Amino acid sequence: MQFRLEKRQEPSQLMVYATPVAAVLLTMIVGAIIFSLIGYDGIGAVREIFLTPLTNSYKWQDLGIKAAPLIIIGVGLSIAYRANVWNIGAEGQYVMGGLAGTWVALATYGMTGPWILPLMILAGVVGGALYAAIPAFFKVRLNVNEILTSLMLTYASVQLIYYLIRAPWKDPMGMGFPQTRLFSEAARLPTVIPGTIVHLGVPIAILVAFVAWFIMSRSVFGYQMKVVGAAPHAARYGGFSESKTIWLAMLVSGGLAGLAGILEVAGPFQRMVPGFPTNYGFTAIIVAFLGRLNPLGVIFAGVVMAITFVGGEVAQTTIGLPNAATGIFQAMVLFFLLAGDILVRYRLRRVSSIPASGAA
Amino acid sequence: MDITIAIFITLVGAATPILIAALGELVVEKAGVLNLGVEGMMLVGAIAGFAAQFYTGNPYLALLAGAFAGAATSMIFGFLTLSLSANQTATGLALTIFGTGFSALAGAPFSARPIELMRPLFPAELATHPMWRVLFGYSAPVYFSFFMVFAIWYFLKKTRAGLILRAVGENDLSAHSIGYSVKGVRYAAVMFGGAMAGIAGACFPLLLTPQWAERMTAGRGWIAVALVVFASWKPFRLLAGAYLFGLVMTMELYAKAGGGPLSIIPSELWAALPYLATIVVLVLISLRRDASTNAPACLGKPFLPSN
Amino acid sequence: MTITRRTILKTGAAAAALPLLGSRAFAQGEPLKIGFIYVGTINDNGYNYAHNQGRLYVEEQLGDAVETTYVENVPEGPDCERVLRELAQQGNKLIFATSFGFGDSVIKVAQQFPDVKFEHATGYQKAENVGLYNARFYEGRAVCGTIAGHLSKTGKLAYIGSFPIPEVVMGINALALSARRINPDITVKPVYISTWNDPAKEADAARALIDQGVDVIAQHTDGPAALQVAQERGIIGGFGQGADMSAFAPETQLTAIIDNWGPHYLASAQAVIDGTWVAGDTWEGLKENVVEMGPYNEKIPAEVVADAEKVRTGQIDGSFHIFTGPIKDNTGAERVAAGVTMTDAELLSMDWYVEGVEQPA
Repeated sequence: MQFRLEKRQEPSQLMVYATPVAAVLLTMIVGAIIFSLIGYDGIGAVREIFLTPLTNSYKWQDLGIKAAPLIIIGVGLSIAYRANVWNIGAEGQYVMGGLAGTWVALATYGMTGPWILPLMILAGVVGGALYAAIPAFFKVRLNVNEILTSLMLTYASVQLIYYLIRAPWKDPMGMGFPQTRLFSEAARLPTVIPGTIVHLGVPIAILVAFVAWFIMSRSVFGYQMKVVGAAPHAARYGGFSESKTIWLAMLVSGGLAGLAGILEVAGPFQRMVPGFPTNYGFTAIIVAFLGRLNPLGVIFAGVVMAITFVGGEVAQTTIGLPNAATGIFQAMVLFFLLAGDILVRYRLRRVSSIPASGAA
Repeated sequence: MDITIAIFITLVGAATPILIAALGELVVEKAGVLNLGVEGMMLVGAIAGFAAQFYTGNPYLALLAGAFAGAATSMIFGFLTLSLSANQTATGLALTIFGTGFSALAGAPFSARPIELMRPLFPAELATHPMWRVLFGYSAPVYFSFFMVFAIWYFLKKTRAGLILRAVGENDLSAHSIGYSVKGVRYAAVMFGGAMAGIAGACFPLLLTPQWAERMTAGRGWIAVALVVFASWKPFRLLAGAYLFGLVMTMELYAKAGGGPLSIIPSELWAALPYLATIVVLVLISLRRDASTNAPACLGKPFLPSN
Repeated sequence: MTITRRTILKTGAAAAALPLLGSRAFAQGEPLKIGFIYVGTINDNGYNYAHNQGRLYVEEQLGDAVETTYVENVPEGPDCERVLRELAQQGNKLIFATSFGFGDSVIKVAQQFPDVKFEHATGYQKAENVGLYNARFYEGRAVCGTIAGHLSKTGKLAYIGSFPIPEVVMGINALALSARRINPDITVKPVYISTWNDPAKEADAARALIDQGVDVIAQHTDGPAALQVAQERGIIGGFGQGADMSAFAPETQLTAIIDNWGPHYLASAQAVIDGTWVAGDTWEGLKENVVEMGPYNEKIPAEVVADAEKVRTGQIDGSFHIFTGPIKDNTGAERVAAGVTMTDAELLSMDWYVEGVEQPA
């Protein structure tokens, strides 16, 4: 018996929704078997990683604040990738957004007023966008590949944090430790649900995704991004400038990464610390593709990633699963999700032993 | 003079694993496939190489184990992206997550266990004078990396198989219609890239620091990916790129260790310098020349022949 | 375990309006649950490994009276906060946060769980239910420096660190002061590699230092990378950091500074069980065995060992303190007057280098 893949006329709507569910179920089954075989509590691991974060209401807030930056960055990247602009330095733009916002917070330290937070957020967006403007400039002017520039700039940005918090921005009361002072009250992101840690960044993330979805599906901008990405020649013919598209894609994805950065500083961190970069920018690349470069899909993908992070820690505390095992589970769920994509575009057909005439 | 030689020898150590991994990725990308999982494959290669050296004490077996482990890991990527045409960027990143987790899990029993460093390839008598050390003082992977620069250049430029590989990367549909197996070529390329990444990973415990530490490649796999772009997919330029990067990284440490006027530069700027230098040099190169990035046309795109 | 989980789930459903809090009460007769969070992996053979050894020591000593849990590789920031809350909700009544960067999160979560005791290593923010603990690693550095002062032939020592935080600066200064008591011509070259976990870069830094004439290397990074290079190059020596690393460099490890958190963890756990725990601020060293010295390498001459021992025992009985003036900084200005000993607060925020330390980049 043989199977053959056959292209569907149109992507299957059923599969769009069914494959992610199947992927998660498969990960649970295969993961439970593999980890039981190598001597861990496989079933417990699956329960703690995938179910506890969903069934335990304490964990929802954690999922929210973990997913928010992933969603915001992921939405930006999905727009850029639609246009075939390969910004993989979102981590650096996230850092620069955080630093720019921190600068405002430190400059306004001790002041009060409702204008401080919006100013910080603006600075964060601008900071991220400006950092993304460097690869955009070199790409447009000199055709320098943006994968290299955006990635290298990420490493440089991390060193910039280290420098700033060690020297000019060091907390004078911090016993010499490399970190800025705690932001004053006006520079901190408020929580939106009393009694929880859910901060303003969570609704902003949802809003960003919906606005992006609307723009991408309804506006000329969205059309331009998609056309330039899918059919550059046709786009040029249709009067869309490629340079302009690169600029827009980089600035939007960089700006959103910067937004995520400042929301993260002003929300959970409330000061700049050396541990600020935590790979959100890289994880969001996966989130963007997992969400099929659709802003609404990115929400789903961001939450899935958040579940594996939060659940991984639960599994460490409850059944003593090593941190490394979480990584394997995370990779497994991604592998299955990515593998499942094929069923959206193709169907499995059983091939009879006698080849039909005119096959292939 | 002596210090120059010393710097060079340290530089060779720093550049070799990056160069080996990047050479593998170059072949993969020439076939039209973008595998961002180099870091993950390197880590799997590192733990496999460490374990083999730990149990057998034979560094050549250890390199082989690294190559095998890297190639095996790359086949996860190969199956997903080539057989199931999954998205390459995301699959590569997922592969790095996998490699990081797998190597940490497999490596846990090996913490606090030392191994022997790999010895230089040539007898010590050849490398007594410092000048001769520059030529004969290294262990096998260093010479292997130089050999592979030439071999890959020759393969891509001068052989029929190399021509086919490039054709698959430039225009998969026509290569397919002429009758070449696009998938077969790409599988082979991905496997080669995995083996090279695995060897590069094994170089960490065998050449640089004879221990196992989680995430011990510390981002070098990403540098390898970036350098392929830097090199415009050309092996000799890749050699230059890896050594430029290694040079700035090594200079950082020698300048910090030496003190003197260079101490005015903040430590963090030094640490950022290899990355910035790579950008600056690439920009300068691009200024001088007609901007052609030379990227394989099918890079990163799934092969979807209409049946 | 399942029962515990269910209980939490039920409480969770009931308290959905206030989903943040929901820790289980600590019933009498139940084992005390203790949580540990580590910034790195327990397999680093250094800092985090040592903390985990302390955890195992508590388990071994108190047996069924305790139940310990750890979470490794916890990033500083919101992730740490979440893990702390998770541990508190799981019913851990004593939680050790073992890295400086966890401080803000500990304070936040401690406010939400007033009945849980927290202890934060190497930090400075205290609260009603947040105690601080630290170890006087510099005392060990003074022993190392004494040996280095005797043995170094080139008079050049080096110190590889990640970042210039007070803990590291203090260690460099202790090494320099003690070595220069023996040989006033000695200089110490600090090198910061600007990363926490990159053993290959650490090793290359050691190579760069040795190539420039350094013959004794101390390092303040986790893991044996620098020590291994010292062994490979056959210089006079180096020191183990956090744990005895003689397996990695049998001929080259002169001695090691061993972190021994066990006794402190045991005392805190016992205090919580007895109901006598109060938020303390301990900074213990050689005297309390929180800092221990590894075996002296046999190649060290007996009189040098004797001198090192004198420094060690002097710090134990209180007759010797390495940070007693006169101390000049590396610009030549006097920082500590003769006979004056620096206070703990001054030490913990040290950001200048003593005479003989080259200003690092």
